[in-house]
Formats: sequence, structure tokens, C-alpha cells
Amino acid sequence: MSASARRRGLWLLLLPMLLWIGLLFVLPHLKLFYLSFVDRRSGSFTLANYLYFFQSPLYRKIFVRTAVFSVLVTLLTLFVSFPIAFIITKVAGKRLKAMLLLAVILPYWVSELIQAFTWMVIFRESGVLSYVLQKIGLINHPIEFLYHDATIAVGLLYTSLLFMTIPIMNSLDTLDNSLIEAAYDLGGDFWSTMREIVIPHAAPGIMVGSIMVFMLNLGNYVTVTLLGGKNSLWFTEIIYNQFIVRFNQNLGSAFSVILLTFSVVFVWIVLKITKQDLSEAM
Amino acid sequence: MSQEIDVALVNVTKKFGDLVAVDNVSFEVPKGSFFSILGPSGSGKTTLLRMIAGFEVPTSGDIYIGGQRVNDVPPNKRPCNMVFQRLALFPMMNVLDNVTFGLRRRGGMSKDEMERLAKDALARVGLQGLEKRKINQLSGGQQQRVALARSLVLEPTVLLLDEPLGSLDLKLRQSMKLELKHLQARTGTTFLYITHDQTIALAMSDTVAVINHGKIEQIAPPEELYRRPATHFVASFVGENNKLTDGRVIGFQQDDVVQVDIAGIPMVGRAGEELSVGDPVDLFIRPEMISLRLGKHENGILGKVSEINFDGSHSLVVVDLLDANRPVSVNVKIQHTEDAPDVHVGDTVTISWHWNAANAFHPVDQSHIEVEV
Repeated sequence: MSASARRRGLWLLLLPMLLWIGLLFVLPHLKLFYLSFVDRRSGSFTLANYLYFFQSPLYRKIFVRTAVFSVLVTLLTLFVSFPIAFIITKVAGKRLKAMLLLAVILPYWVSELIQAFTWMVIFRESGVLSYVLQKIGLINHPIEFLYHDATIAVGLLYTSLLFMTIPIMNSLDTLDNSLIEAAYDLGGDFWSTMREIVIPHAAPGIMVGSIMVFMLNLGNYVTVTLLGGKNSLWFTEIIYNQFIVRFNQNLGSAFSVILLTFSVVFVWIVLKITKQDLSEAM
Repeated sequence: MSQEIDVALVNVTKKFGDLVAVDNVSFEVPKGSFFSILGPSGSGKTTLLRMIAGFEVPTSGDIYIGGQRVNDVPPNKRPCNMVFQRLALFPMMNVLDNVTFGLRRRGGMSKDEMERLAKDALARVGLQGLEKRKINQLSGGQQQRVALARSLVLEPTVLLLDEPLGSLDLKLRQSMKLELKHLQARTGTTFLYITHDQTIALAMSDTVAVINHGKIEQIAPPEELYRRPATHFVASFVGENNKLTDGRVIGFQQDDVVQVDIAGIPMVGRAGEELSVGDPVDLFIRPEMISLRLGKHENGILGKVSEINFDGSHSLVVVDLLDANRPVSVNVKIQHTEDAPDVHVGDTVTISWHWNAANAFHPVDQSHIEVEV
């Protein structure tokens, strides 16, 4: 095969992905970017959409809340996922390993929507949790567990657990067990071995997982609105309202661009601070 | 025993399910000695070492280090350190941090003090000036030394070495072999070395324990191991040997000097174990202990040279025995000295050996053992 023919073949193979990214990602975002600088009525260039966001304390607060909440839930997911990933890769025997892995993957066989409904069945006033707590006598009247921040956190944690666990498992898989043994042999205990050997080795996986989970949290809509209701105050809800309820595409676009820019810049800064390389981490 | 004992195993057995990896093993390692455990892969030597280090718990039996029973002591509290087969250096740290890792865990020492000790240890293995290097910037030999320094800096009662030279190329292995021996002599630390490489075990050790199928076959100084193997396995595993099979005991010259009939030819050897007239035996003869004379002589076995393999300092001469009632050939190693016989293929020669150059044992079913010759 000649070099040019081989190159043509390569492009042909890449074509579906290029079309996918170009038509479904780049083009819509260019349009979004364009719309965000256009006045809704006159159609002329304006910065008013962005100014509107920065001048509105409510939107700013919701934005900050969404960002901070996403970071906190990401950290929570990390604390829950790391032990799971460690046990699956380093502690469990063959059978337990398969079972745990299945338990982590199984929830993803149903859609996020069904997952959220399931949580609602558990958390609502007449739901499973309230009922059980009454039965065992811990509470004496039904309690509404839905529409709290904690409920949102649980839901988000659940939807993104796998995306944290798998990258960490991947990086822990490459950790030679004899390194852990060597650390013990030299007098290390559980925590010092974790701190100095295991976590530094898993850092790229932790980074990838955290980035993915953070993005998923930030852009989540279904879980947040169903479990948080009107109290959720999530930024994606604001965007949704502008597009669907208020028919204000231009303001919605500006909000979208702000959210996108923030997440990209935030991830970039975190990578810089932790001295991680994205290509290396991936 | 008047000598101080650093490591002692008493009737140690380790089972993994039905598999008996280590079978009722007992031995003692005297303080300051270089003790090797030699065995083929799968013989249980790694399990043995891991039990001493504390990574495996014996099914039964006791392990003592420095006179203290350590069965219930976790690996991080045992007074021994291990040099791992694949070294297990910490790639996320530089050389100095690797070496100070154990000191930092121990605590009670200033940072300067730790660095001084670490630099001392690195100097001892010839690595001064490389403290700030990353592990992946070091050569194989240098990594080897870092692993040694990392353990030695803790001044363990005994240093366990899990075949760490195995991954090196031949030249480097030879030089590290000598260096390791010198290091052991200099530091006076007890070394417990496990290997499947008999040349390493013979060259470095004060004492070698040969292990096979989880059982100790023989514990002896290298020379005794080589000259007077205690079992059929040791005779075939340690060193080069001619193994003449399907023999039969025909008589005794002295208590342990046995006459053996191999393919109709009477031969002499040392009785390696209890033998009686009529017993089937295999006879092992060291190729370099056989003397070869040109032509036909009395008091010897007549043969014809069928092959000569030149190997630098010596040649390996393959001699087909002429009086044998089935094809039997013997390898003879000739040193290229001035008075060495000038042999050619097709020559008629007479070979002979002193009785203690050969060892006779009952044959063993060894189909599952690979013998290195």
C-alpha cells in the first residue's frame, strides 16, 4: 500500500469521529458562542447577556453554589471510590473481585432517570427510608428526605461513582504489589504506605476520575432537579429555564458559555496546581 | 551450639490448600554468615523467604529471628529487611528518599541524621553523588545497589535477598556477585539469599541449603555440597555431572566405596546413601574429575572419542565406552594445560577416576525436574 493510500485509509477510519465531534460538538458550540453575543430583539452585537449574569446576585450565587457543591461531591465520590478501587484491585480474591466489580457496574444498567426515581421511592415522605425508621422507632412521624442538599449529594455520588472507581482501578492495577510489601518490610504501616506509595502512584487515575466526576456533577440536570426539586438551585436549571421556559436563547447561550469556560479553566488550574499532565493522566 | 544463631526455622510447614509448599523445614543461620537457599523454581524457596519476612504465615512450626519467635510479628516489626526480586524501588521518590524511607518510618531521628545515614549507606554500595536521581534514571546495577542500601541502612539482623541478581545480564551479574560477597564481609550482616542459580550459591555462600518440593535435601558448605552430595537430587542439580543410569550394585570395596555395574562395565564410586548388593543405582561422575589417557591402559575403562567441544580454558570430550553392552557415553573435561593429552575425534582412550569423584544413589523418578547440565 502506498503512503498516500494509507493516509487516506486513516482519514476514512477517523471520519465518523470527526463528523461526530464536528457536527455535534464544535458546530453547536460555535452557534452557542455566537448567540451569546447577540441581542435578543435587534439581533445586533451586545455584551448585555454576560453583563446580566454578572449584575445578578441570584445567578452569581447559584453559579458559585453549583461549582462549590460539585467540587465537594467530587471529593466525597473520591473518598468513597478509593477504598472500593483499592479493595477490588489489591485485596479481594478472584470471586469477591468479580462480585464487587459487578456491584459497581450494575446500577449503570438502568438510566440515570430510573436511578433518580428509585432514590425518590426511597427518600420521599411516604418512602422506604421514612417507613423503616418509623418501624424501628427512631422517628415517630414521616419525614421528607427529598429536596435536601444531602439528597442531591447522595444522588450525584451514586451516578458518578463508576467514573471515579474505574480510572483509579486502572492506575492501581499497574502498581506492583511488591512495592506495597517493600514499604511494609521497611517498617511502613497502612497509612504511611497509602500516603507515600499507593496514592502517589494512583494520582493520575485520581485526577482523571475527579475531572470526569466534576464535569458530570457540574452539568447534571436530571438527578439534581428530581432529587432537589425547586430547592436544587443548580446552574443547569437556570440554563434550561432560559432556553425552554423563557425562550431566551441568547441569555441561555451566555450562561452555557460561562459554565463551559469555568469548567475548562478550573480543570486546567487544578492540573497546574497538582503538577499533573492531562495527556499523562489520561 | 556455641555460635550465635540469627535465624532459626523449626519444623516449618506451609500449605496452600492441598499444596504443600514448604514441608517440615528446619535450619539455623549463624550470625554474620552468608546462607543460601538453592532450589529450582517451584521448590518452595520463595515461600520460605516470605515466611521469614512475614508476608506468609506458616501453617505449623516456628520461626525465630535473633532468638525471638516472630510467628505473630507483622513484617513491619521484624528485624529483617528484604531485597526484592524486582527490587521494588519506589519510582515516585528519588534515591535519597528511597533510602531514608525506613528511617522515616522508624522516627526519633533528625532529618540531617537520616540523610547522613542514608549517604553513608549509599557510599558503602558505591553510589555517592546520585542522591537526587530518579529511580528510572539509574542503570540496572545502580538500582540493585539502591535496593541494598535501602535495606542495609536499617541495620537489620538479617538481610533477605530474593534472587535480586536474576534480572541482570551475565557480566553485571558476575561483578555484582563479588561485590555482594565483599559487602557482606564488610558489614558483617547475616545474608539469607535465595536463588535457583547454583553458580551464585556456590560462589558466595558459607552454607547452602538445597531445597526441592518444599523439603530440604542437604545443608552444607558449597564444597561439601559439590563433592559429597547427600541425595540424588543434589547430585543432579548442583554442578555438572555425568549421570549413568540403570546401574546395579555388585559389591563393596570398603564401607562406603561401592562397585557398580553399568552396562556390563564395573565402576567405583562413593555410596551416597545406604545401598545393598543388587540395588538399582544411578552413578554421578564429575566431568573434571575423570582422568583421560591416550591409548589402551590397565585399570581403566576403554573408550572412543566421538566429539570434542572446545570451550576456551577447557574442552569437553565425549567418550563412548567400548566395552558397554548398550550405548553409554561419558563427558570428560580436560584443562588446557601443557601436559594435557592431545585428543582427536576417533582416538581410543582410557578413562578412570578416584572413587570419591563419583556418587551412587538409588534412582528417583525425576520426570518433573529439569536438570541443568
